[in-house]
Parts: sequence; C-alpha cells; structure tokens
Amino acid sequence: MKTTRIGEIIETMSTGFVAQSFKLNRPPPLGSLVLVRLPAETAESSASMDLYAVVTYGRTVGLDPSRRAVRRSTDTVFDQAIYQEHPELNRTLRTEFGAMLVGFAADGLVQQHLPSQPPPLHFSVQETPIEEVRRFTHRLHYLRLLLMDSGEVSPLQVLAANVRQVYHQRGHDRVWLDAAAREIATLLKNDHQALLTVLYAIDPAESRPRLEDGRTTHLLGGGEQI
Amino acid sequence: MNRKRLGAVIDGTYNGGLTVRLDSGTTTEQLRIGDFVVVEGQRNLYFSLISDIHLKATDPRLLTGPPRDASPFIAQTLAGTSIYATVEVRPMLMLEKAGESRDLLAQEKRGGPQPVRTIPMHFAELREANELDFATVFGKEGKLNFAMGMPLTMDIPICLSLDRFVERSNGIFGQSGTGKSFLARLIISGVIKSKAAVNLIFDMHDEYSFDKQTEDGHWVKGLRQIFGSKVLIYSLDEKMGRRTGRNVDVTLKIGLNQMEEADIVLLSEELNLRKTAEATIGLLRDAFRGQWLLKLLEMTPEELEAFCRGSGAHPASMASLQRNLKRLRRKDYIVNEASFSALDDMVEALDRGKHVILQFGRHNTVLDYVLVSNLVTRRVRQRYEDKMRRYEETQAVADQPRPLMITIEEAHKFLNPAVARQTTFGTIAREMRKYNVTLMVIDQRPSSIDPEVMSQLGTRVSGKLTEERDIDAVLTGVSRRSALRGALASLDTRQQILIMGHAVPMPIVMRTRQYDEAFYRAMGARFVTPQDAEKDIRDLFGDQ
Repeated sequence: MKTTRIGEIIETMSTGFVAQSFKLNRPPPLGSLVLVRLPAETAESSASMDLYAVVTYGRTVGLDPSRRAVRRSTDTVFDQAIYQEHPELNRTLRTEFGAMLVGFAADGLVQQHLPSQPPPLHFSVQETPIEEVRRFTHRLHYLRLLLMDSGEVSPLQVLAANVRQVYHQRGHDRVWLDAAAREIATLLKNDHQALLTVLYAIDPAESRPRLEDGRTTHLLGGGEQI
Repeated sequence: MNRKRLGAVIDGTYNGGLTVRLDSGTTTEQLRIGDFVVVEGQRNLYFSLISDIHLKATDPRLLTGPPRDASPFIAQTLAGTSIYATVEVRPMLMLEKAGESRDLLAQEKRGGPQPVRTIPMHFAELREANELDFATVFGKEGKLNFAMGMPLTMDIPICLSLDRFVERSNGIFGQSGTGKSFLARLIISGVIKSKAAVNLIFDMHDEYSFDKQTEDGHWVKGLRQIFGSKVLIYSLDEKMGRRTGRNVDVTLKIGLNQMEEADIVLLSEELNLRKTAEATIGLLRDAFRGQWLLKLLEMTPEELEAFCRGSGAHPASMASLQRNLKRLRRKDYIVNEASFSALDDMVEALDRGKHVILQFGRHNTVLDYVLVSNLVTRRVRQRYEDKMRRYEETQAVADQPRPLMITIEEAHKFLNPAVARQTTFGTIAREMRKYNVTLMVIDQRPSSIDPEVMSQLGTRVSGKLTEERDIDAVLTGVSRRSALRGALASLDTRQQILIMGHAVPMPIVMRTRQYDEAFYRAMGARFVTPQDAEKDIRDLFGDQ
C-alpha cells in the first residue's frame, strides 16, 4: 500500500512517541491518525503489525534545546522571506510532534488498546491512508485512550481535533459523527463542561458561516446527511 | 420477530420493581403509564407494566445551567447520554424461555406464564410487547376467551377468560360517561355467546334489551335484538310491553306479602324511615307473619292504637311507619298478594339457559330499583340454594345449577357499608361462588361500596377514575397497586379501560372493542323471522 513517510521516531514509550517531522514547520495535523509499520521480524508477533497513533502536539524548536531562537525579521524581510534569507534555518531548526498510541492492527484484526511494545526508535512515521482510517475508526473504543493526559495539549482538544479530522477524512460521515459524539458524551458524563467543550468543537454547524442574524446555516434534517 | 428495544434494566428490587434506562433512540413520549412491555432476562421473559417515568442527568450541574445556544447537533447528542430517562417497570408475570421458538402449544404444556418470583439481572433488555407476547399472556380469541379489546397501539385482541370471570363476583367502575353500561353489554354478550353463565340483569334505565341511542348519537342494538329468544324480557311496567317491536315476555307484579323486614330496612333512606322502624316491623311480623305489611297498611287509626296497646309498640312511630309505607302501595306493580310462581318460573327459565332482563320502565326510581332487585334476588338465591343442596345430594351433573351472573347498577345502594350485611347482594358478594351465583356490580362511586365486598371482587373493569378515594377503592386487595394507580387516572374518558383480577393473567390497559355491526355478527345476531316464532314458544315454555 502506498504511504507517505512524514517523520522519524526520536523518542518512544509504551503510551506514545515523539517524532521529528520531515517538513520544517509542517507537523501532521493535530488529532490526525498516523501509522508506524512494523515488519514481521520486528513485531511482537511473527506477522507484521501496524501501530496507530493520534497526533497530540507539534512544535518547532532549535536543534540545541539550551539556545532559544532569536528574532530574524527586519522591516523588509519577514515571514516566509526569512527562510529564503537564512537557508541555514532549515538545518538548525527542527519540527517535532508527539503522538499517542491508540491501537494496532495485526493479523488483519484492529485492536483498540496499547500494543505490548513501544515502536522502535528511528522507525518511520507515516500518514494513514484513508481506507485504513475508516477501518480503524469503525469502532470508537480508542476515544477513551485519548482522554489520558498527554501533558502538552488538553486531551479534550486532542479528542475534538481527532473527531474533526476523522469526520473530514470519512467524507463527512454524519452517522459516524453522531456515534462519536454519543461515545464522548458517555465518556464525559460526569463533567458536562468538558463535554460541551468537545461538542462545541466538533459541532459541524459551528464551522459554517454565520448568517447576519447570528444563526448558523446548519442543515440538520436534510442537506448534508450521509 | 419484530420487536423494538427500548432500554436496559439498570436497577431494581423484587418488591419495588425494575428501573430501566431508556436507549438514546427512545423518547419518553413513546411510552405511557400502564403500557404492557416485556423484559427479556437470560432465562425468563417478564411481562410487565410501566408504572413511572423519570427524567435524569448524569451531571446534575447540567440541569442547573442547561446549555442555551445548543445546536441541534449538541441537543441530539446530549439526549440519551448525559440527559436521559428511566422508566419504572413492574414485572407481573414471567415465562421461562424455551429456546427460540416460543410456540403457544409448548407453552401451554408448561403451564403458561407464572407469577413473578424473581427479577432479571442488570442490562436485561426492555422491549415493546409484540403480538406473540399478547397472545402468550392473554390467550387466543375463541370459546371462553372473549376478545374484550385491543392494546392502545396495536390491533390484536386482548382476551378475557369468561369461565374465570363468572367464577367470582365482578365490578365495572368508572366516572359517569366512561361507558360502563356499554362495557356491561359487551361482557354480557360475551357471556351469553360463550354460555359461560346465565344472566339476570336488573336494567334500571332500560339500556340492555332494545335499541338505545348512545351519547354520540348513533343507535346500538340491545341484547334481545342480538340474541333473540335466548334473552327474556321481564318488565314492571305494563305499558312497556305495548310498544311495537319491543315485546316484553312477562310483566312482573310484586306482592306486599313477598316483602320482608330486610327489604323495608334497606329502603330506610328512600322511605324516610326512623331508626325505630326496624323494631316496630319486628313486632308486626311477630303478630301477623307474612301478612304484616298488608295488615299494617289496612289498619284504621283505631286498630293501630289497639295494636300498640297490645304489643307495646310506640304509637307515633307506628303511625309514621304506616304513613311512609303507604307510598309502596301507590306503585302500579305492587299488588296485595302475589305468588312466587312468576319468580320461580324465571329461575326455571334461567336454568334452561335463558337470560333474563328485568326492565323497570317508568318505575325507575331508586326506591323501585332497590326494592325489586333485592326481593327478586333473594328469591332467586333461595332457589339456587335449594338446587345446590339437591346437587350435593345427588351429585348428578344434570342437577348442577347453571352459573348465574346477576348484574346490578347503582351498586352502592345495596352494597354500602351500612346495608351490605343485610342485603342478599352483600351475601352473594361475600360468599362468592358457593351457590353458583355471582354478581356483576356497576357503579360510578366504588368508594361508597363496602370495602369487604370490594376486596372479594374477582375481576375489576374500570374506566377513568380521578377521585382519589375511588381509585383506592377499586384497587382494594390488588397487589402492586402503585403501578396501576397512575394507569387508572390517565385513561381516556372513552373506550379505554383497565382490567385486573381473576379473569386476566395480569392487569392491562386496553381500548374496548367496538359495539357495532361487526360485533353483532360475531355474537351470532339473527333477526327474528316467523319460522323462529314456534321455536321461541318452545324455548319460552319448554317442551310440552
């Protein structure tokens, strides 16, 4: 299956990994599903194994963590022009992203819990092909793993970002979105503020332009249902 | 099998019933108090009633600040997850599951649904009852299973087991306008058709025999028109018999000699009698035996005084008794002397399988009704006692008296706590089926009927009741009444009833069957032709 390598693992543990992105300033989208393919000989089982993880943060820093970046812009050179003016930045800066393991596929079966081994260091991180996204997100048990505190971005925002991403990747699958929203409502049943935070963030109506009178142009009950 | 899941059991006690959390797809508005539902446990099916509905939230803070600008998406997500509804469900019967095929025959072998003795575990499924469930519990229509109505949301018959129905005294209750006499007609038709019992109906308002216009304006047929000569019409009113197409078979006269002390005491209120009347009558009876009433009414003031001197009766109360009882004499149907033969013939007709309606015609005051019904019933019961004794001696099937069901309206006049011990009706209601005679009492104020009588009623059929005391009265002696209380108060005024007791396996709310052409046909209505006349004569007078 054709996949795109987007990064390399530079730190790994049972719950997730940190990878360096191949593109400066362009880590994979927050909440998107990424993939680490383990060939047969490296996987815990004899067969090959695909580990799935959800991107929990992205950041760009200098190579030397002890040295903070300094200002480079002038009145005439700013934004993208800075990178053309200082091509060495592409060498001295790095973009990394964190991802949280949410499951794996082995022997053709999708499991939504942590694999027994963390992915090996320096292995490639790949974009997950759409059909694998569909296959993996068919069940929603992985959402509860996302609620574990990942330490960087609020887990609620990661969760919301993941649902938005998958909703988009599944071709605006409204049935899936409703099911995911219900699953989240069940997970966050004791904290309705947290629940509303996520629901507002994944509400498909919220992302539409507002009408002049302030109403949104949501098309529930028709329009975009799939 | 078509069945719709509604929710899952999450809590419960055997005594208090089960709590079921509704699925997110189920709204509370789909369900009503008193609905018949099924809980499917691992081993048993539990046939249950919905007794209460609650709205709940997982996070109470959500209720204190409901989201104002929630889009439909959010509202839809919250419904059934963070905010949800539970229903209280009362298991009434249980049935062991026999694999997948629940065919009725196999179930009958195992004895059908049993009383509930346990409850299912968590997450047992609650679902709507389907046709098979109704058939399992209420049986199939036919023979002694009389289709009484339909579930509120389905078109399948709910059956009343008539043989069980006539085994005990029964009651039909409901506010006025809920169609009590219509219900009575329906049930009596069923009893006549199935031959479960013979009927004696005291028809105070002339509602049972012939055409009658209903409150919504169309005409419905009477029992005589549906069942022809199987139904005999007795009347107190001679003029009734002269109307065309409304033949009366017998005009009944009541003799003063037939009245007893208890008949008069029963009428204390209507006749305005004093407390001393009972003692005074006692004295008269001692002196004149069966002729006491006639003698009293014919006494001149001098004779009266002489009697008082001789017997020690109080002259003033004697005089007032005489004055008040003179009202009886003014009734057209009361004669000085009448034999019991007319009543005995009536009992014989009943024994031949005829059904008797006693019409009151113009004499439809409470006084007439109470006096005549009580007197006639006393005689009928005496005769039944004799028959029963004979049957006990011979033990021949031919001698067994047919079960008799006596229908009375305004039942509280006979069965209120003050008189229930003295009237024949009270006795019948209490001793139940000892002599194969049972009552069907019809009343709009069940609370004024003696609780002891109420608790003996086998089957209760009730239309809407709102008065708290009446609801309590109807539910006297019924187990798990809290579930039924709400159901009773939430019935529609028309055509919706709650049936509970001996003749149904579990209490059930239903729409009553239509009393229309289709019903007449189902009851085998025939319209009398001349050829039938001869048979009618034979039926009436027996083979001579």
